[in-house]
This record gives sequence, structure tokens and C-alpha cells, in this order.
Amino acid sequence: MASLILSPAEQDYIIRGVESGFRADGRSSLDRREVTLRTGMISQANGSARCRIGNLGVGTDVLVGIKAEVNAWTPGDGVPESSGVLICNVECSPSAAQEFEGRGAEELNVELTQLLDRIFNGPQSGIDFEKLCIIPKQAYWVLHVDALVLDVRGGITDALVWATRAALLSTRLPRVVVESIPDDNGVMQAEFDVVDDPDDLTELDGVENMPIAVTFSRIGRRFVVDASEQEEAVAQARMTVAVSPKMDICAVQKGGVLRGFMPTLFSEVLQTAQTIAREEFSRFEKCYAEAKSQALSQIDEPSTGSTFLVPF
Amino acid sequence: MQIDDIPSSTARDLASRIVTPGTAITSDPAYMRGHGTFGENDTIYSSVAGAVERINKLVSVRPLKQRYSGEIGDIVVGRITEVGSKRWRVDVNSRQDGVLLLSSINLPGGIQRRKLESDELQMRTFFAEGDLVFAEVQSFFADGGLSLHTRSIQYGKLRNGQLVTVFPQLVPRSRSHFHTLPCGVDIVVGVNGYIWVSKHVPAAKVEANSELIYSDRNEHISDSERETIARIANCIHLLNRLYVKITDTSIIFAYEASLPHAVKDLLTKEVATDLAHTVKARLLQQS
Repeated sequence: MASLILSPAEQDYIIRGVESGFRADGRSSLDRREVTLRTGMISQANGSARCRIGNLGVGTDVLVGIKAEVNAWTPGDGVPESSGVLICNVECSPSAAQEFEGRGAEELNVELTQLLDRIFNGPQSGIDFEKLCIIPKQAYWVLHVDALVLDVRGGITDALVWATRAALLSTRLPRVVVESIPDDNGVMQAEFDVVDDPDDLTELDGVENMPIAVTFSRIGRRFVVDASEQEEAVAQARMTVAVSPKMDICAVQKGGVLRGFMPTLFSEVLQTAQTIAREEFSRFEKCYAEAKSQALSQIDEPSTGSTFLVPF
Repeated sequence: MQIDDIPSSTARDLASRIVTPGTAITSDPAYMRGHGTFGENDTIYSSVAGAVERINKLVSVRPLKQRYSGEIGDIVVGRITEVGSKRWRVDVNSRQDGVLLLSSINLPGGIQRRKLESDELQMRTFFAEGDLVFAEVQSFFADGGLSLHTRSIQYGKLRNGQLVTVFPQLVPRSRSHFHTLPCGVDIVVGVNGYIWVSKHVPAAKVEANSELIYSDRNEHISDSERETIARIANCIHLLNRLYVKITDTSIIFAYEASLPHAVKDLLTKEVATDLAHTVKARLLQQS
């Protein structure tokens, strides 16, 4: 996605490599790079996660924070009577790539925000939005999903979905007590109270059903998953497929389209997405469990990125 | 003042210390400020993160990370960023782009030939935006910009391989920057930190056909050749992350140590850590 110009010889080398199933870094078309995941990095947020895709401590780096807020329901603002909402926002930091300086990242921000919204905002995400309603037609939870892209080395979309998934899984909301109190006329009115106890927190409902995304880049006549920066520079189209734990396809978004996917390739991509998603779910579970145990033990761990021996 | 006049305790304090920006290095008035430092209230502070170096009275800090600063005669690998009138702008990983003048390249068909107006019109057929060139630093401009030249048969456009970027300070200047490794891979180790890893093409082949200097077409590269190129590239990535000097010897060490592992696993945490220890031990043993 970063504007990298390659010479015709480099492009040809990458394309022919992909077509013969051997990529420039030795991976085959469906191999993915290592993922590092941490959760609970932002203490002020209700949930947060940082995900890096890449080897030896360099790679695409995304930080996601979830902030929950109670909103008063007003008719006509488009919020359903008895459900909460999720608002996504993605920002590409200018420190990630030079072309993100100024307004350079605007289009990409919109595209990635759109992607997160498509995957996580709605029944396809598995999140139980009705549980996020506090009192119908009165108050509901708003979950602000704010993602910051800190480094770009190809494959932002996958890192973004991984980080968002981990952040939502680690989100804890304060408990809300709803009680009915008679008003002056003796009519029962529902009122709520947010319990201000840092230990009395609840998880989001249905987060374990959230999908995971696999991004395919079409290069030459074939496609690869988890494209590197150089591969993205020669890709003719990109497609992100979100797959739920039940192996249902929840969302598809394409981008960077110069030539698109052929229909034959398209059906192959959808099938491959499901097989890869199965592996990705177990990989995610492993990384998330590791991140959770780390979050408990090493909260004050200083963050250094200079050696690959230190994860972040 | 002689070096002996400086109290030995401060002299020892200064030697090989690692500092961060804003660290006070010394307040001894005997010292002079060098590169990477600034003075305030008679104290010398570091302006970069790096190692303190002292040459007699001159205190300077050598940064751990820095951009490439050229010297005449350096062999570099650069990427064309702009085609201008009679010149190309070349990204050489430096503070500013280098310049390759039309008069500093060899034109196809006859080594010595006058540059014609028609050559100026077809500059893109020689080098276009994005192309990688293998060049030598010819001279400096008044503003410190580099002027490059490709007036030798071994210089010119790079093809048949891939680029690896490393920290420029890890590449020492040496007699030769073009190596053919025993595993049948050519590497061009640019002093600016751009390293080109490619399939071995005999020099005689290019000499016989001067059109090849500006060719964009790759030769046929078999899967096993691709694998060797990828292995070398991954080894260079690893050396870069280990902050080890990148020379043909260290690359060969890493390559030999990597042979038991699959290419795609070289950069995963377990294998990389394992390899890192082997390579460092071998390099220590050698020195």
C-alpha cells in the first residue's frame, strides 16, 4: 500500500517467483510471517492490543484501543432501539511511511475504517450488540475502536483485524445496574448506574465468535497471502476475506485494484480463505493466550524494538 | 596540550561509553566538541545516540544509526527516483539524493562516443524511475550531494535478483564490493546499505553484448537458484538485525550455518536465535 517503486527486473523476479510458488523470502504462496501479539497495553482503555506481523522484530505494527462510553438514545440518530453500537476509526501514523505525511493517508484511513466496520459492526461479527443496550430507547454502550498503524511492511489489513479481535476479546466493561424507580406521578422509570469498581467488570458477549481475516494479493496469474511490501507493490488486486470460527464467510473487501481477480481465481480464493482461517484461528488462540499471560506478569516491561530477541 | 595532560580518570570515562541525546559527556574545558555533540554552559552534550569517541582533545559521538555519508570512490547501489534534463536523481540512502549525469554513463554501442541530443531524448531507455543502478561515487557537489558514475563494464542496471536493505554503517569499505559467492550467487554490497543479491551471470556474457547493460529482462532463474538467492537474502537480513558487519565472509558464515534449516524458517524466532549464536561464535573465533 505504501508507494514503493520497483524496477521492471525486480517486478518480474517477484511475479515469476510467485507463479512458480517460491517467494522472495523463501515462503510459499500460502505461508504467513510470524505474529507478535500483546494485550492490555493502554491502561486507560477498556481493551487494547498491539499486533505485529513480520520476522525479526520488524514488520507491520498496529495498535488498537477500545473505549466504551454510555450514550443517551435519541430518536432519529439511526441507532436501533435496543442495541449498542461500534464505531471504528483507523489512522495511519506518518511515522509509518513517508507518504502518510499530511493528507497522504486519508484514503487509506477511510478504506481500512470501512474494512473494520464491514467485519466487526453487525451481526456477522458475532458480537451480541443487544447486550450492549442498557435501557431500550434510553441508554446504550458505544464501543470506539481506534486503531493506529505504527509501521507498514505489507499486510496492514490482517494485522488490523488481528489487533482489533484481540482488543475486543480483552475488553472489559464496567457492570451496569438497572433499577426501576417511581417518578413524581408514580410511573415506574428505569434508571441505571455504572458500577465504579475496577474489579467488577464484564466481558463482551459473543466476542469468541468474531471472524478473522485473510488477505490475498493477486500477483501475476497467482495469488499470495500475507504479502510483503515489495509484493504489494506489484500486486494487481487485494482481497480481504473474513471468516468466522464456524467457517462462514462474513465479509469480503477488495482494494488496490488494478486488474482484479479472475472469476476462477475468486472461487479458489474463497475456498483457500476457509482452510487458512482454520489455521489462523488456532494460531490466534495460541498468541492470545501467550499475550494474556504476559500482560499479567510483565506490565512494566519496557518497550524496545532494537533487537528481535525482545518482542516489542 | 598532550593527551597525557588530561587526567586519566576522565580519559577512561570517555572511552567507549554509550550515550543518548542530551547526555552530558564532560564539563572539562580541555576538550573540544566534535560531530554528534553540542555545547551548553561549558558542558559538552551528546546530540545523538551512540558511542563516545575521543581523538586527543576532540570528543565526538558516533551514532548507532545514521544515513549513508558518501566518500569518493564508494561503490553504491541506488534507485532512480527522477529523470531530469541530462541527469537522473538517485536514491542512495543518504541525506539527499545523488545525481547521475548523462555524461557519466557508458552508452551502448561503443564505450567512447559523443553524447548526442538524441541520447538526451531517450534517457528513459537507459535508466527509468525505479531502476536499480550499481555505480561509483565520482565527486561531491558544493551542497554535499553525490555525483555518481557508471563508466565501467561492471556497473550499470541490476537485474536477476532482489534488494536487501541494511544499516549503512554495517558495510565496511573494502577492496571489492562485488562478490561471486561459492553457492553461485552474485552480491553487490553497496556501501550505502543497499545490497543486491542475484543469480550469477558470467562477466564475459555482459562484455560480449553491451546491450545487456541496460536490459530490463531477467534471465531464466530456476527454483533452486531462487532458493539460494532467498537464503542469502534472509542471511543478510539476520546479520543486519544482529548488528554484525556485513562482508562476504560474514555472509558466507551465515549461509553455511543456515544450511540445515529451510529457507522460510530462517527468520522465525527460534531458528534465528539459534543461528545468531552460531554466527556470532564463528565470527568471534575468526577475529
